[in-house]
Amino acid sequence: MLTPWEIKRKEYMPPLIMLKLNIKGSFFLAKVILLNLGTLKKMKKQGQKNIYMRPKLTYNIPKYKSSMKFCNLDEKYLRPTLYCDCRAPEIIALANELGAFKKSDREFAETAFEFAKRKIILEIIPLDGVVEVLQRGTGTCIHKISLFIALCRAAGIRGRYKFYALKMLDQWMQPAIDHAPLMKQWYDAMGYFLLHGEGEIYLDGKWIPADVGAEPQRQAAAGLPVTKLGEDSIGLWLFPIPGTITRRESVPLGLGFTGNLLIKRVAPDSVAGINIGILEQIERGGKIIEETGGEKTYDTMTRKKREPEKPKIELDEKKEIIFEG
Amino acid sequence: MTIDYDEYIKKFDSRVAKYIPPKNEWTPADYAVYGPKDLFRVPLKESKELQFNAIKYQFKRHFEQNKMYHGFCKDKKVTPDDIKKYDDLEKIPLIPNEFYKDYPTGRDFALWLANIFTGAIPSIKISQKEPNYDDVINAFNAAGLAVAYSSGTSGRHTFIPRDMRTFHISEYAIAKAAISMAYPIWDYDMHGYLLMPNPFKTNVYAGKVCTIYYDVIKHVTAAIDKELNTEIIRMSMIDGSGLKAKIIKSTLSRMNKKITDNIIKWLERNDKEKNKIVFAGAPSLLYNVTNKLKEDGQTFDFADRGAILTGGGWKVYEDRRLPVAEFRKEMEEILGIKPEYCLDAYGMVEGNAWMVQCQEGHYLHIPLCYYYPLVLDKEFKPVGYNQPGRFAFIDGSSYSYPAFIISGDQVRMLEHCPVCDRPGPVLEPEVTRASGKEMRGCAEEVRRMVSTDIGT
Repeated sequence: MLTPWEIKRKEYMPPLIMLKLNIKGSFFLAKVILLNLGTLKKMKKQGQKNIYMRPKLTYNIPKYKSSMKFCNLDEKYLRPTLYCDCRAPEIIALANELGAFKKSDREFAETAFEFAKRKIILEIIPLDGVVEVLQRGTGTCIHKISLFIALCRAAGIRGRYKFYALKMLDQWMQPAIDHAPLMKQWYDAMGYFLLHGEGEIYLDGKWIPADVGAEPQRQAAAGLPVTKLGEDSIGLWLFPIPGTITRRESVPLGLGFTGNLLIKRVAPDSVAGINIGILEQIERGGKIIEETGGEKTYDTMTRKKREPEKPKIELDEKKEIIFEG
Repeated sequence: MTIDYDEYIKKFDSRVAKYIPPKNEWTPADYAVYGPKDLFRVPLKESKELQFNAIKYQFKRHFEQNKMYHGFCKDKKVTPDDIKKYDDLEKIPLIPNEFYKDYPTGRDFALWLANIFTGAIPSIKISQKEPNYDDVINAFNAAGLAVAYSSGTSGRHTFIPRDMRTFHISEYAIAKAAISMAYPIWDYDMHGYLLMPNPFKTNVYAGKVCTIYYDVIKHVTAAIDKELNTEIIRMSMIDGSGLKAKIIKSTLSRMNKKITDNIIKWLERNDKEKNKIVFAGAPSLLYNVTNKLKEDGQTFDFADRGAILTGGGWKVYEDRRLPVAEFRKEMEEILGIKPEYCLDAYGMVEGNAWMVQCQEGHYLHIPLCYYYPLVLDKEFKPVGYNQPGRFAFIDGSSYSYPAFIISGDQVRMLEHCPVCDRPGPVLEPEVTRASGKEMRGCAEEVRRMVSTDIGT
């Protein structure tokens, strides 16, 4: 049972901006549903037509031994938080197998980053804990980053979450465009996507970005370079809505409930469609990498022809603009 | 007897005097745009000099008065002091066109527009609590600016904040470029059909920029006379199946049929009255008309009294791009309009230059006196002539935003026009989108809006 003290201490309360975004998102979702009642009815009558087959695990979960080392400090960014139990035996075992306390912090973090990025496949699914993620081998960007943060915390590296509302490249949301027109409509109606979760870890005296959400194949399918630890997804394929970025020790409370409602109740077929689309994207990207001559060649080539750099813009207040409303 | 060119352009200048600032206020940018009698016939040495002075002048202004661009230049380690000679122009940092598609919503959108603007903005009052894009644009424009937008098949528009001085340059440039290239057919007494939205009822750039059409042509009819805002365009561009989208699409579909019928009636009337006519705008609308006329076995003969100026949007159906040469042939066969008076123009919301085809070879000529064109390879480095690549430009005419842009278009630039004797480089007639980029231009928007019932 969570105590109010723990809720405050571990930053479990959702930030105000997240609450506002969720309310706005629910409003737009309701609008899309109301405007498409006929379509939804038809879809329900047809029964579930999108059948998603989860891919098989491509790794073994190592066995935990009591002799395994792990970080036991009750310090901010190093302790277990909601959905991120870094003291779970499976997480400690995996951290040790990936080289915790043997490799340098950076080397370990890179190994853990690659594991979460490559081995855990994106699947839109209700939030659950890191052990379930590891056992299933799939999860959303938040599941994936939770696993990475848990591994880092287990190895004594501070890790935190970064959440924001965002727009994304059309190619990136191809699975939704192809398989879930209502989801696409929701995105179009709002003008952005409600939430993306990535992480930051504290290395060599500074916080560095870590987005494990994108598998190399999906990046290839969207013509993106294969990003590494320290490379930001922001500006590459994700574009945050200004003022929505928030950094926290934990996934906030309530997020699981909203996700559950949307995924299980409101649009299970659309979600299954997106998950099918994700696997198609992975297959397509895999072919691109193969045809280009392997991941390294693909990555070098793509980085060379990346979009040119854009200016950065700060939204300074202007006294000439008067908001009367 | 054919009118002398000097006389011809004098007549034009007298019609557009209100667009030209008093000469004692001219900056190097104004000299480059308003100075030449024919934007496409300035000797190379002279046009490069005008161009260099205009760009150097504007680069310094944007560097000094635009925080966003100043920071960008600082990152790239380029300052106005680095631009000493003509070849240094390539050092000027270019902004990818995607930058102008990447903006927030609500009040932040207003701040975004204000923060990409060069120099001081006027006092702007926004009365809505949660303003949408149209609310913000209308508030800016009510304060004396000319914010316009274009394109976005996925509903993502490009927004450009022009002040009136910059907007007048754009209007003047499109009219002068078209009229000088179409010499000697233009005549104020012509009857014009604007294959675009009514410029006074929209902020869609290609429509809005055509306000000057009403000053240079006596009798103008606009194809779309309804108010067009971002919401209507967004609904017509995206594959929305909601109730609102359905209503809008159905309205647009009826409008399409009406436009085709209206244009045919308009042609019949002008044919009967032996009037001189000119079409300007989206080619797809005319293509619909000629298809209908073909079906009905009807033809016209506007041989010496008809002209067409098209712009972008060369897709006629989702899967079919109509070659410009085929379009000219069709227009000659059905409307009798001579190929030399059937010209295409290439321009974009991000810039003030209009490249217009020459009558002789239909290559797209570049107004070099204020516009530095570049073709970039996949690593965004300039390539030589005859090489395909991404089109980029340094536009020395814009006061209100840095118009130093990498476009999303694929072009091939030649050192000279292979057919005519106008100096300076040209683009090959077929401009396409670079791979991965959405379809280009306001004409494409018009095509998408009215194509609901023609098999798309």
